[in-house]
Amino acid sequence: MHLYIPNIRVVLERGQAYIMEALAQNKKHRKTATILSIIPGLGQLYNRQKLKGVLFLLLAVSYFVVFSDLLNIGLWGFFTLGTELPRDHSIFLLVEGIIAFIVIAIGIGFYLFNLIDAFKNGRKRDEGFALNSIKEQYHSVIDKGFPYLLVGPGFFLLIFVVVLPILFMLFLAFTNYDLYHSPPAKLVDWVGIENFTDIFTLEIWRDTFFSVFAWTIVWTFTATTLQIAIGIFLAVILNQKDLKFKGFIRTLLILPWAVPAFVSILVFAGMFNDSFGAINNDILAFFGIGPIPWLTDPMWTKVAVIFIQTWLGFPFVMAMTTGVLQSIPEELYEAATVDGATIMQKFKSITFPVIMAATAPILITQYTFNFNNFNVIYLFNEGKPAVSGQSAGGTDILISWIYSLTLKSAQYSKAAAITVLLSLIIIVVALINFRRTKAFKDEGM
Amino acid sequence: MSIKRGKFIRLTLSYLILLVAIAIVLYPILWVIGSSLNPGTSLTSSSIIPKNATIIHYKELFEKTPYVTWYWNTVKISVSTMVLAVIFIGLTGYAFSRYRFLGRKNGLLLFLVLQMVPQFVAVLALYILASLVGLLDSHFGLILVYVGGLIPMNTWLAKGYFDTIPKELDESARIDGAGHFRIFWQIILPLAKPILAVIALFSFITPFADFILASTLLQSDETKTLAVGLFSLVSNEYENAFTIFAAGSVLIAIPIGLLFLSFQRYFVSGLTAGGTKG
Amino acid sequence: MKKFSAVLLTTTLALGALSACGPKDSGSSSTGDSDKKPEKLVVWEDKDKSAGLKPAVESFEKKYGVKVEFKEMPLLDQQEKLRLQGKTGNSADVITSPHDRVGPLVTEGLIEPINVSDDVKKMYTESSIKALTFKGKLYGLPKSTETPVFIYNKKYMKKAPATFDDVYKFSKGDKGGAQYGFLANWTDFYFASGVVNGFGGYVFKDSDGTLDPKDVGLATKGSVDGLTFISKWYKEGLFPTGIIGKKGGQTIDGLFGEKKVASVMNGPWSFKGYKDAGVDLGIAPMPKLPNGQEVKTFVGVKGWNVSAYSTHKKWAQKLVEWITNKENSKIRFEKTQEIPPVNDLIKDPVITKDEGAKAVAIQSQHGIPMPNIPEMAEVWDPGANALQLVATGKQEPQKALEDAKKSIDENIQAKHSGK
Repeated sequence: MHLYIPNIRVVLERGQAYIMEALAQNKKHRKTATILSIIPGLGQLYNRQKLKGVLFLLLAVSYFVVFSDLLNIGLWGFFTLGTELPRDHSIFLLVEGIIAFIVIAIGIGFYLFNLIDAFKNGRKRDEGFALNSIKEQYHSVIDKGFPYLLVGPGFFLLIFVVVLPILFMLFLAFTNYDLYHSPPAKLVDWVGIENFTDIFTLEIWRDTFFSVFAWTIVWTFTATTLQIAIGIFLAVILNQKDLKFKGFIRTLLILPWAVPAFVSILVFAGMFNDSFGAINNDILAFFGIGPIPWLTDPMWTKVAVIFIQTWLGFPFVMAMTTGVLQSIPEELYEAATVDGATIMQKFKSITFPVIMAATAPILITQYTFNFNNFNVIYLFNEGKPAVSGQSAGGTDILISWIYSLTLKSAQYSKAAAITVLLSLIIIVVALINFRRTKAFKDEGM
Repeated sequence: MSIKRGKFIRLTLSYLILLVAIAIVLYPILWVIGSSLNPGTSLTSSSIIPKNATIIHYKELFEKTPYVTWYWNTVKISVSTMVLAVIFIGLTGYAFSRYRFLGRKNGLLLFLVLQMVPQFVAVLALYILASLVGLLDSHFGLILVYVGGLIPMNTWLAKGYFDTIPKELDESARIDGAGHFRIFWQIILPLAKPILAVIALFSFITPFADFILASTLLQSDETKTLAVGLFSLVSNEYENAFTIFAAGSVLIAIPIGLLFLSFQRYFVSGLTAGGTKG
Repeated sequence: MKKFSAVLLTTTLALGALSACGPKDSGSSSTGDSDKKPEKLVVWEDKDKSAGLKPAVESFEKKYGVKVEFKEMPLLDQQEKLRLQGKTGNSADVITSPHDRVGPLVTEGLIEPINVSDDVKKMYTESSIKALTFKGKLYGLPKSTETPVFIYNKKYMKKAPATFDDVYKFSKGDKGGAQYGFLANWTDFYFASGVVNGFGGYVFKDSDGTLDPKDVGLATKGSVDGLTFISKWYKEGLFPTGIIGKKGGQTIDGLFGEKKVASVMNGPWSFKGYKDAGVDLGIAPMPKLPNGQEVKTFVGVKGWNVSAYSTHKKWAQKLVEWITNKENSKIRFEKTQEIPPVNDLIKDPVITKDEGAKAVAIQSQHGIPMPNIPEMAEVWDPGANALQLVATGKQEPQKALEDAKKSIDENIQAKHSGK
């Protein structure tokens, strides 16, 4: 039960080892059982585990009965992407193909488990042990399988709702799906790495890429660091024992989280309007400061989006940090106070390390989130203001730039290719950082 | 004496900082409320204290748009998403925290990686998947998508929190003869309330804030969610409905704000009650 | 070790691929078209416009005994929805789209040509039929036409000025007591194009109704003159910089509704909102440009198209003809104020007596159809960038337009080389 979900390679290698062993050493039961299990269930029946054997056989038969159509159409569709118009829709076929692969993976997993199970029980018989009774089997499944039982449903959902779309995008990057190759007018074809080479050879994209990339990095670091710093800062202040109205204040400060982000961003877009916005006309005017070109000067627009993201993002960090702070035993601080530590020292040597240990992986995801934070950039000012000599706007980050560049004119495969590259960059960088965090080192990763 | 004075300065400073923070946080929110009461239709005329305040936009919201339907849909989706997500994430987070099983590390890594991939193009696949399994234009399909999307990030949150609950608790319970499920249900879950509350909130808010998935998967007017409906009020560049939009937003923010308020005690209650000291 | 797993995987996959022989039937029956009378037809109507469709649909149902379902969906969403939903079999038989989408829709194979007699074609204005024609074929019948016109508040402006010189003087002067004399969202290429075209610039070279995407005329003298004219309004502070980008239009609407502006340039979709805001509305064709030319605004034609996924295309076309006939077009105008480009109707008192409709009808004759080739998608953004840079004084018109042209050319080359 517990072998077939996660790591195909390990499972395969293990299975191979078992089979090799069975074949090489001429041990009767394990060999016969394993070979019989080429048809799932027979080996189990041979091992006199009737219920299990019948169950496996039934599972195998129903697998083929239920999925044969899907596997047939799915695999055919995946490789051909359709052959006839208007019957075949390449994009639908691609998705069905991916589903077929997922189903096959599950099937292979089950099949290997069946072989290994037959071998193991055969070996038990060879070595003269009694086989588990049904009741014992049940217990062993519960014991070993419990974590899989817990993870299973969520993982299953994840495979279809998150993994499948990502695989789809990955494959799409190797097709020519765009306005000119779109069903029902045309079928989509596999084109290899053409999209990727195109990205690097088109002058207009290549030139703009670097200036956009530079700003994406700056944006990611400033906006995220700011929202984390302010979130932690406020959480620490709010965590002081002798502070009054804590709950009330915390609720007020969490409000930006309670308002849907797109609402806030659109409101900010209005408030930051150069000529009519409240920031220029009410607040800055109140302090006697002249109007600032928030939406038309790239520098000021950058300041504005960073401010907005900080406003949107700090409550989450604050709430999360608050949870962590409350788990720090008060005695630690008391001991430090007795030792004469200042507030800053206490923060540096107790609070901060604890926060980092507990939340570093999540904080890193805040960075990756902002790296791809399309909403703030696009809803605030559509990546504008315009900048002379480049096709991207002054606040365009990679993701919003890709959007304007490709999806507005239905260039799906190119959008997919750039997104794949983008994801690779961010995943590699993030993983390097994850591995440095304490949370990860504790896992021994 | 000096300790007392230090405390006074510290508290005064704290209050000052918090006051500034509250002002910055509240200003845009009050401004939305102001806009929603403003007789005009656009951003330009809006101000925090409207002249001739009117509730006409709230009326329009109910008369001109199917706001109640949108609201009901969203609440339905949100509650279901919340319940399912808490169950799924609680289970996965617990498994990752307490059990060492084959695939665990890769699973954790996978969870991290998955949420970094931009979903633009991927939405197409969700649409097709939904149509293949007949869940297009159905709230159930959308709920599953939300729950699935919430799993990676929140599993990490939950796992991190479960990790802080001492393992000795489980072990002593196991010695007392408690089964896997009983340990989870009777010992761990009560201690994990704060993080479950956070996850519940996260999940509850998701449908209120998403208009991309919802507008892709839902098609008819009767199934629309608030975010899709409200966004359509302002996304149309040839139409001007900002003040109605503001009114709609205020009515969204109120229940969510209240929810935050009522979950507050879970944020605050912390772990000490769990008797893990020492 | 590795070898074993590799072999296992490849065999499985190979087996899978071999056994995968694909669908058995050739499928022509499953998505086939049928001339038989359908039980029902489905129509996607523009948002908030179904009042204009309902009577026509009801009479169609009565006459032919075919049930017609209609559903509102934002105009610009329909292409996207049809792209995927068409395959799932629950999409519309008839959709509505602005004519600049005709090119992309046809390229993707989402809509069908329409076969109607010349008599039918002659019912509609020539330019509207031309707008719905792509590569020599007609892809729908016109539903309504629209183009930006000159809208003024009679409280500040007694009558519409004849030339932009007058508007300029008015804006420089007392503005009739308003805060702004005239506002237009000229950082949006849609609105600015009228000026650019009027000064002799062009987006794509039009030779006998065929647009040449290889000849982009944005860096020509005419276009530069157009942008120079536009930049004057910003430079001299007549337009505030806060009306910028796509949201600029909403800002203008707001200001006009609050009666702070004497006149604006906007399309017929805005009339109702302005009236509701209590503005004493005057509507006229655009004033003449300083070079004596008309403002050649982009004219948009919304049409009804037959979906390629429809299984009853003949009946779908019949429905399109029905809802765009003279009678039903008239009803549409009365219910929605959208102006049908039907020759008889334009001369009909219903329209000639309506100030707004009349202005739009006249201005439509001054304007040029918005390009309907897919390459147009590459123009809006670089165009808007150039306008914004000029409006905020960051670049001179000549340079800004050269950059825009370069960007447009390259993007067309990259995405529309029609491989």
